Amino acid sequence: MSRSNLSLATVLWLIIGVLVIYPLSVLVIESFKITESGGWGISNYLGFFKDAYYLKTFGNTFLLSIMVLITTTLFGIPLSYILARYRTRGKTVFTALILLPIVLPAYAGIFAFIIFFGKYGTVNLLLMDIGIIKTPINFIYGMHGLVFIQSLHMLPFIVLSLSAGFTNIDPSFEEAAEVAGASGFRRFFTVTLPLCTPSYLAGAVIVFMWPFTDWLTPLILGQIDFLPSVSYINIAYHFTDVHRKYMGIVAVVVSSVVCISLFLIARSWVERKKYTGLSKGTTSEGRVIEPGSFLKVSSYLYMGFIAFLVLLIPIVLGLSAFSRRWVFEPFPTYWTLENFRVILTETPGMIKNSFLFSGVALFFGIIFGLPAAYIIVRTNTPGKNAMDFVITLMLAFPGIAVGVSYLLAFWDTIPLARYWIIMPLALFARRLPYFLRMAHSAYLQLDISLEEASEVAGANKFKTFMYISLPLLIKGVLIGVVMFFIMAFQEISTAIFLYRGGWETLPIGIYLNWHRGMEFGVAAAMAFLMIVIAFILLLIISKIGGGILKAAWGPGGT
Amino acid sequence: MRKKITITAIFTIFSMMFMLLPAFASEAQAKDRLGWVGPVYTELSDSLNRGFKAYYKKTYGKELEITFVKPGGWPVCLDKVRAWGGKPDADVFLGAGAPAHEVLMKEGMVIPYKPKDWDKIPATWHGMKVKDMGHYWTCFAPWIVTNLYNAKVLKKLRLPPPKTWNDLLNPIYRGNIVHTLPYASGTMHETVEILLQGFGEKEAWTYLRLLAAQLPRFSTGSTDTTHITSRGEIPIGIAQPQMNAMVARRDGYPVRDLLPDKTILVPEAVALLKGAPNEKIGKIFLDWLFSMEGQKSVLEGGYFAARNDIKFSVWEKEGVKMAKHAKKALGVDSFWDLKVGFIEYDLDLAAERWDKVNRFYEYEIYRKWGKLKRSLFLIEEVEEEIKAAKAGKADVTKADAKIKEARKLFEIDGAYAAARLAASKARAFLVAP
Repeated sequence: MSRSNLSLATVLWLIIGVLVIYPLSVLVIESFKITESGGWGISNYLGFFKDAYYLKTFGNTFLLSIMVLITTTLFGIPLSYILARYRTRGKTVFTALILLPIVLPAYAGIFAFIIFFGKYGTVNLLLMDIGIIKTPINFIYGMHGLVFIQSLHMLPFIVLSLSAGFTNIDPSFEEAAEVAGASGFRRFFTVTLPLCTPSYLAGAVIVFMWPFTDWLTPLILGQIDFLPSVSYINIAYHFTDVHRKYMGIVAVVVSSVVCISLFLIARSWVERKKYTGLSKGTTSEGRVIEPGSFLKVSSYLYMGFIAFLVLLIPIVLGLSAFSRRWVFEPFPTYWTLENFRVILTETPGMIKNSFLFSGVALFFGIIFGLPAAYIIVRTNTPGKNAMDFVITLMLAFPGIAVGVSYLLAFWDTIPLARYWIIMPLALFARRLPYFLRMAHSAYLQLDISLEEASEVAGANKFKTFMYISLPLLIKGVLIGVVMFFIMAFQEISTAIFLYRGGWETLPIGIYLNWHRGMEFGVAAAMAFLMIVIAFILLLIISKIGGGILKAAWGPGGT
Repeated sequence: MRKKITITAIFTIFSMMFMLLPAFASEAQAKDRLGWVGPVYTELSDSLNRGFKAYYKKTYGKELEITFVKPGGWPVCLDKVRAWGGKPDADVFLGAGAPAHEVLMKEGMVIPYKPKDWDKIPATWHGMKVKDMGHYWTCFAPWIVTNLYNAKVLKKLRLPPPKTWNDLLNPIYRGNIVHTLPYASGTMHETVEILLQGFGEKEAWTYLRLLAAQLPRFSTGSTDTTHITSRGEIPIGIAQPQMNAMVARRDGYPVRDLLPDKTILVPEAVALLKGAPNEKIGKIFLDWLFSMEGQKSVLEGGYFAARNDIKFSVWEKEGVKMAKHAKKALGVDSFWDLKVGFIEYDLDLAAERWDKVNRFYEYEIYRKWGKLKRSLFLIEEVEEEIKAAKAGKADVTKADAKIKEARKLFEIDGAYAAARLAASKARAFLVAP
């Protein structure tokens, strides 16, 4: 523990204090306010836990989390194994495709699924036209639809983390197992999978938290009995019913507590089982197997199936983007470029804002995230766990709560919310965990002896970082950068509360156009534009980083 | 070598960001400014933005920058103004009906102002208040709370458009009606209030219980309802702003307006915020908004114009594109010529019990929605069975009495579990009278 570490930590703490602790404590304090007397107390919480309805929403959310985690894991294990291990053609393309759902605002995907799988959606209409069914099948309205849509949205997180795990395993471990006589399934379940636990947990925690923070997906499907949706409705629509607002805030705090506890359990698990090899007896590609022809065909079919579901989103949104008046028809009949004309001529600022805010947020994210990860993993600076805890808190807090708390906290005393910089600042604070998690697990897997060797050889800390740590971390960091930018690019829950006229981003544009009612085409065109931009981004980075695969499966992965 | 490239790349990105920062900084400080906050559709704000900017340039020879904040429906907008705590980030509250403006007024968040053509706006219409006589708020775009239907889908499903509130309860419409929650939308709340005041409280709650069983799902807001209905996902949308039909029709969607037998007027109004940073320009805007030019911008923005001295046919000749659609949608030449079935609407009562009504709906209908449907569907099943048994000359006196009790428990008391139990008992009486 050196003095420079301490002063670095102090600076980081100051930033956290202003951007995280202060606004969120304003929110928590609000949750203890009592409507009737104007005093303080725990009556809001008592009311919450005594109310069967809130308990039900809590149970629903928990159930949803478990189902989404099970689904993503079941579908994710084979997928990531195929992507990490098998030598297959078109791996890069498939990987990019499967990552696609996370670059979209979750609700853009839902629109696509409603159009395709909805009551009078493409599938139902086709089936009814053929005469297979008489009344429409309910594909998406209900728990099953939520599990389907949220799982597809969260699948990339599991795939990313598991693939990174599979790639990073020193082949000698598996070879040893095989030499000792364990092969096939036995080796996979006794050696390979357990070795992936830390990587898997990093992804699993994010997946599990998602139903506790995603208010929009259940809402759009008309299923609002979930904690975050209830908090959104209660906070956003309480009108003069202040009690409703406090119940909303309580719901936010409760879901945050759940997420934080889960995160802590997962982290202590990772810390206890420290899996690092001193040398990586492998290439950056990891161990690659040439699959047999049966396996190969099945893998293609499987990848194709997932890719099809993912591709539905851009395809359906694309159809909507280039058409209007798509009503009760399996496919649109009236084609037009009008939607894009509206975006490019009437609201070009949205595209600029999206890039500007996410770019600035990314800049903050990198200059904050790298030192923060360093402090947390590599030093014994007092309070480093608390720092990690607080940063991860942002992941657990629903965006709407962050938005409301920022608006409360940065209006009068610190009038930051009057300037556009609040947008990137909020994005930075909200999306920081994504970058930090990457950098964090990258650091975890980088054995400290390499850095120590550099310092023994006479290099100072900065030099060591620049010449030893950073190049070794670069893949993890690069993924962190991509993920961060993408997540900032699609953020809406916080931004919707903070934006002022002229600060609209693309996701807000989608939301506003959806709210306008009729102009679904414009919203679809914006979402389509976002997909194109995000896909180009992924491609550019995959070129710079020598293939997104390498970057993604490097020592850093989630 | 690779290390160097990486490091150079990172530094290049950083320095580029630094260079780009000033380029994006707002350079518009020299312009005059005006800020709006409110729930109006973007189409209207875009139209007003274009119109007023041009007028300002022409009259004052200066550029004007207009910002528009729309965080959500009007309760959310109201909350935004509240959160600003007397230092608003806008000058004008643009849109929302009388209840919102009454709250703004009572909480001291607006100041009175009498725009130039204020007297061209009627004070009341069929008993509904159109402007505040103390000049706190004035309606600039009136509309009626209606329902919508998708003509194409209803035709394909071979369903006639429902004409009255009671038509909607017809079993043929089950699964084909959607509305949102009264606490998620001002329009839906108004609709509940209309039913309460139009039918009487007891009857209205019975009605709403039965209506809830007709829905396959709730929508997330009244614009979501429009959306679902326009796209045909669910062909009948309850609690809709009237002009949505006009705009959807212009956009080519087969949506029709359904003026119900009992409804009210929503006087979409404008008010000047207290502590407005650009109060002077705010007043100029209000004057313009009620001028002929401003009112044309309102219509072009997809809302009906409010002045009582205008004719759509005249405007159509003057080249106002929307005038044609307005005339077609309303079937009359001025909004105020409409023949409507307004109820006597007690605004104070509505404002006073706002939360109570929302809560009742939430606790008694929404939260029990699953139970409600299970209960009603069983009752209906047993009723059919009794009917069949009666036709088969069986003795159904006991079963009949029991099922009537179940109906009452369901409709009047909202005791869904008890009603379900009673229905099961009625069924048992059928087997063993």
